[in-house]
Amino acid sequence: MDPDDRPIGRVTRCSTRGFVGAVRLPEPEWPVFGTFCRAEAQQGQSQVIGLVYDLSIEDDELARQLAASEALSPEQLADSQVNRQVPVEYHALAVGYLTGDVFTQSLPPQPPLTLAPVYRLTAPQVRLFTDRLDFLPLLVAVPEIPVDDLLAAALKTAAAVRPESERRSYLVRAAAECARLLGRDLTRLESLVRAIRP
Amino acid sequence: MGLNLSQILHQLEQMGAALAEHEAALRRLQPAATKALEHAASLPPEELAARVARAGDRYRGARPSDEPVRQRFPPPALEAGLVIAGADGSQIYPDRHAAALYYVIQVGSLAIELGSGRAPQTRTLPEIHFRPEDLYDDDGHPVNNAVINGRRDALEMKALADWAESAAGRPFLALLDNGLLLWFALQVREQQQKEVDRVLKAYLGHLDGLRTRGGTVAGFIDRPRSADVLALAHLATLPPEAINDAALRANPFRALTDRIVFEQLLEPGERSACFIDSSPLNRDFETRGHQVRFFYLKTDARGTIARVEVPAWVADDAAALGRVHAGILEQCRATGGFPYALVRAHELAVVTNEDRQQLETYIQQRMLEHNLAPRTSQKATTKRWTRGRRKHRV
Repeated sequence: MDPDDRPIGRVTRCSTRGFVGAVRLPEPEWPVFGTFCRAEAQQGQSQVIGLVYDLSIEDDELARQLAASEALSPEQLADSQVNRQVPVEYHALAVGYLTGDVFTQSLPPQPPLTLAPVYRLTAPQVRLFTDRLDFLPLLVAVPEIPVDDLLAAALKTAAAVRPESERRSYLVRAAAECARLLGRDLTRLESLVRAIRP
Repeated sequence: MGLNLSQILHQLEQMGAALAEHEAALRRLQPAATKALEHAASLPPEELAARVARAGDRYRGARPSDEPVRQRFPPPALEAGLVIAGADGSQIYPDRHAAALYYVIQVGSLAIELGSGRAPQTRTLPEIHFRPEDLYDDDGHPVNNAVINGRRDALEMKALADWAESAAGRPFLALLDNGLLLWFALQVREQQQKEVDRVLKAYLGHLDGLRTRGGTVAGFIDRPRSADVLALAHLATLPPEAINDAALRANPFRALTDRIVFEQLLEPGERSACFIDSSPLNRDFETRGHQVRFFYLKTDARGTIARVEVPAWVADDAAALGRVHAGILEQCRATGGFPYALVRAHELAVVTNEDRQQLETYIQQRMLEHNLAPRTSQKATTKRWTRGRRKHRV
């Protein structure tokens, strides 16, 4: 099975603005900040596109016990870091939806279904979705999340799935769009441009 | 509606006081119990054995082994390159209110190569049983939960025997999160003799396999409630001519457990002498060369006492018994007196309520695909209606 075919969790809470996914996976398989993902909505008629922005590791009493122990063996440490399925929860911001083969960059008509599996977008899907930059205003407008870092992570992810020769021009185009959106806040804009500079 | 705590608050207060009173009564009994055990230890071994023999089949306490009753054994050195495996199982019992009749057993196990620095190898093996021969006994009665527990125990032993094969040629210790005797057999033997024989045969076959592959095995019982050694101590106080049913029943230490006595007697890391379990089931094990013996072990500095069960072929082999003793202590160091391998085996085996609900959904989908109408009982449906209040939050 292709790694992208494996779910990275299931939806536990959701709204049209985003969803929360939860999963028990070993550390190498966790999603990362700025991962584009999808979850089924509308009885399978559409897929909500999310951008992972907050990962948290849920309370795990065994890990706490081991952390406090002075007798932790190297095998137990390796077991915790490699094998143990640590409960991870992550928030994804809705930045669009997929209907058939068509991506739309606006809030989805309905949130995903509870317990819907969440998948990473494949590299071609990320490339297709980020061809247009209409998802950027959805990001910029969200309060109480680290928007600028998320913007930078999303744009770097989008650039990374493109051929080397197209990455710079893509980032320049994205920076221009950010300049339009953040034109009144030059400090933020400068910091963002610095973060995505190739 | 959940438990109405306010209505039982008064009873809870009474309960707290009763528990304190009971604990104090037990502590008052403890010096006499220790003295009785010392008396048992002072008897010549043949005299103690004669009293056990005189008590006959009605006696349900421990029988002494070759080790002196009161002897304590310090922790031996840990063998280099020891591989420790742990296994545990969980299950979903058949539910006649569900859409279909089935049961699930899942066994989790792992093998840790001490000193390697490598992450342990892990296995999780689920099995779903849905055929009539799995669900009904030879007389057509539904299998009861005790039988499913027995089948699960046999699969746990199989998992350990499989690890023993993987570790062939290296020192190997297998840990089971339970005693070695299959208690389900005592529970249902009269009603389901054939099924008990089948499970027992499989279980003992895996135990044979573990032995022939050079492995060592132990069952670990946390917070044991048995009082077998105290029964022996009481027996030792009886003059041989006074040993009869009434005298055996008049055991003043009945309310105590062996654990309370060995908490006082053992230092951290020490084990007690080995004793022989006198359960009738142990005769079946003995016939197959796996007579079950046990000892008590203080697994940490806080005084945690565990009962460790081993087959006679482990107890009679000083190196193998030392491997059990040292291996369990090593596993208990980081986890407060309970072996790490068993903590993780449980984690690998556990089937949660969410898993159960998800499995039920999948089964219903498969039934629909075959034009069957999955239908839970009305009772189950109405329970679902009233289960839990939804919380709306994002």
